[in-house]
Amino acid sequence: MNPYTGTDFFSFFGVLFSRLFSWSSSIATDEIQLLVLIGVGLSSALIGTFLVLKQMTMLANSLSHTLLLGIVAAYLITGSGLVGSLGLTSLLIASLITALCTSLLTQFLTGSGKLQEDASIGIVFTTLFAIGVVLVTLFTRNAHIGTEMVMGNSDALHVDDIWLTYAVLLLNGALITLFFKEFKITAFDPGLARSSGISTNFFNYLLMILIALTAIVVFRAVGLVLVLAFFVGPPLIARELTHRLAPLLFISMGTAAVCALLSVALSRHVLTVYQAPFSTGAILVTLIGLFYFTLILIKRLYKRGLMKKSVSVTIPNN
Amino acid sequence: MLRYLTDPILQAPTIGCMLMCLSASLVGVLVFIRKRSLIGEALSHAAYPGVVLTALFFALFFPEQQEALPFAFLVGAFLSALGGLFLIDWLQRVAKIKNDAALSLVLALFFGVGILIASRMQITHALFYQQIQVFLYGQAATMLDVHVIIYALLAMVTVCTTFLLYRLLLIVNFDREFATVTKIWVKGIDAIFFFLLVLSIVIGIRSVGVVLMSGMLIVPAAAARFFARGLASFFCISAFFGLISGFLGNYLSVELPRFYGLSLSLPTGPMILLSSVLIFLFALFFSKERGLVRRYVRIFRFKQQCLTDNVLKALWKRGEGAEVALTELQGFSWRLTILLRKLRYQGWVVSAKPGHYRLSADGWLRALRIVRLHRLWEVYLVTHLGQGKDRVHRNAEEIEHILTPELEQELTELLQDPKQDPHDQPIPGRPEVR
Repeated sequence: MNPYTGTDFFSFFGVLFSRLFSWSSSIATDEIQLLVLIGVGLSSALIGTFLVLKQMTMLANSLSHTLLLGIVAAYLITGSGLVGSLGLTSLLIASLITALCTSLLTQFLTGSGKLQEDASIGIVFTTLFAIGVVLVTLFTRNAHIGTEMVMGNSDALHVDDIWLTYAVLLLNGALITLFFKEFKITAFDPGLARSSGISTNFFNYLLMILIALTAIVVFRAVGLVLVLAFFVGPPLIARELTHRLAPLLFISMGTAAVCALLSVALSRHVLTVYQAPFSTGAILVTLIGLFYFTLILIKRLYKRGLMKKSVSVTIPNN
Repeated sequence: MLRYLTDPILQAPTIGCMLMCLSASLVGVLVFIRKRSLIGEALSHAAYPGVVLTALFFALFFPEQQEALPFAFLVGAFLSALGGLFLIDWLQRVAKIKNDAALSLVLALFFGVGILIASRMQITHALFYQQIQVFLYGQAATMLDVHVIIYALLAMVTVCTTFLLYRLLLIVNFDREFATVTKIWVKGIDAIFFFLLVLSIVIGIRSVGVVLMSGMLIVPAAAARFFARGLASFFCISAFFGLISGFLGNYLSVELPRFYGLSLSLPTGPMILLSSVLIFLFALFFSKERGLVRRYVRIFRFKQQCLTDNVLKALWKRGEGAEVALTELQGFSWRLTILLRKLRYQGWVVSAKPGHYRLSADGWLRALRIVRLHRLWEVYLVTHLGQGKDRVHRNAEEIEHILTPELEQELTELLQDPKQDPHDQPIPGRPEVR
């Protein structure tokens, strides 16, 4: 029995807190969703900040498509993970294959094929994705599986997904903390990084593998295309508020976590009040979008007000 | 194959797909030369909420008028993609965020809103939901004659526009400054470009789907680039590749599952894309001038020629008629062994006992010519380009493989047939017989 059945937006938090403090042993689907979405939100905000700074967000887009082929390949190797829960080994294999295939093929097309970089990115990820879709459809013998993967289904999350999510978060956090200085320099000044003996190549590949890892866990929670919103949205919101790296990271992670919390509560709210089930992941993305545009509008209004004030002050002085 | 071609049910979808691929591959050329390949990805996803909202609108207000839906989908998708385009522009100009972030944000947010509404309609309006989901990966099988007529008209619009504006597109895309100076309305042409882009995306998402639409814009153009010799042929070849992949993709989506004995039909989008990728790969490897195979063969041949020249020179250095053991040569390897066997077969070297070689008479002359070229070049560098004596050897070592008989003739005349090189070594005379 789900204790959240019939709760609206505010009583959702009431039930959540009472269950949190009474430390109940069972875990409800809403809580699984909440934990997973917060976890993937934190991970992707962390990695996404570096992507936005390095202007590499379209790379996240291409990896979020090619990960499908990675999952299929991991399924062929380990024999699991295509449907149902994904083991840690399958996850690692899948993300490695995803990152390597994408980057090597793109490099091959730009290097040997002498194509423009964005064209080769476009060719590689659409091709690998198309192969992935065909293979998944043939293996599962399910013509609708492609649609399901795009739409995402956070209700199908399992307790195992929580462990997987937080394992990835831990790995991301540990590596970013450990190599914070290196990541920072490669993001802001690749020339300085190279001249001070930091292998930018190594850190770019490391970042790619981390993107692939994160993208796979986000994909399992919200579906294929929305992965990108997780990577780009929170860092862009944080970018409007600060220009320093450490606060940027914390604000974007905070935003992601708050949005995740609100979206699960909202999803439950609309289900209870309007009997309308909405996709939780899509609610989250819409929330991020609303936050971002509200922030921009407020900033613009504020700036305009400031300009008017300064004009009205300076004219009498002249 | 014949059964497929004559099946009347499959004719409409096939023609529809081919027309759609035609317009996508034409516009794709423009996208490709403007280096805006990723904007197609953002705009095709931005078209999705338009489709969903149209379906919602019809489901709520005109649930009976299903036959108007194909038109309405086009209008909805067009408006929504246009909205995405303006938002990308606005984000870059006003919010001052970078191009890639603006593209990604619009892509993800528009699609997110689309999925939000679609996830609701899944339960309330299942019939309309099914029609929306077709737009994700494309489905040609449900196309009717009405669709084909609409697509034919819209494809005609793209074809005619590119045909009529060919000159202007050429000038604006290759020399913007010239276009501005000659008072061509550059902004107008740009607007037409974006109009065509959005239009071809809107036409395309029905048969390729929003997820793979961007690939269909890039791949035929990228394949055509390997053969094109100018903008006109670029357009034609790309359009041709588009037509083929439209047909092939449709064919495979029906026949491939049947071949595996599955009763499901694959979505057309991935199959169309993969067929055009097949064409692209073929072009990448086997195109006549820029293909990889041809290029690697050329590189290999040149390296082989350099090696041959160097081996002949090494043998020449030991003196006429000197027997040289293979192991004495610097850089001895299996490649050298094979090369010397080949040279012996061709008559440049003679082998008295196994592993030992000396130059034949022809080989001697050939080696002399290489040495002559080397030393002539050294003289040229010193006397005409004023380089230091001690620095010319390395350059001559490279150029000796490249100089042609005509250039040799020119050099001889220019330098008045010198007898000594800058290092006071004799320059062999020109051999009479080659």
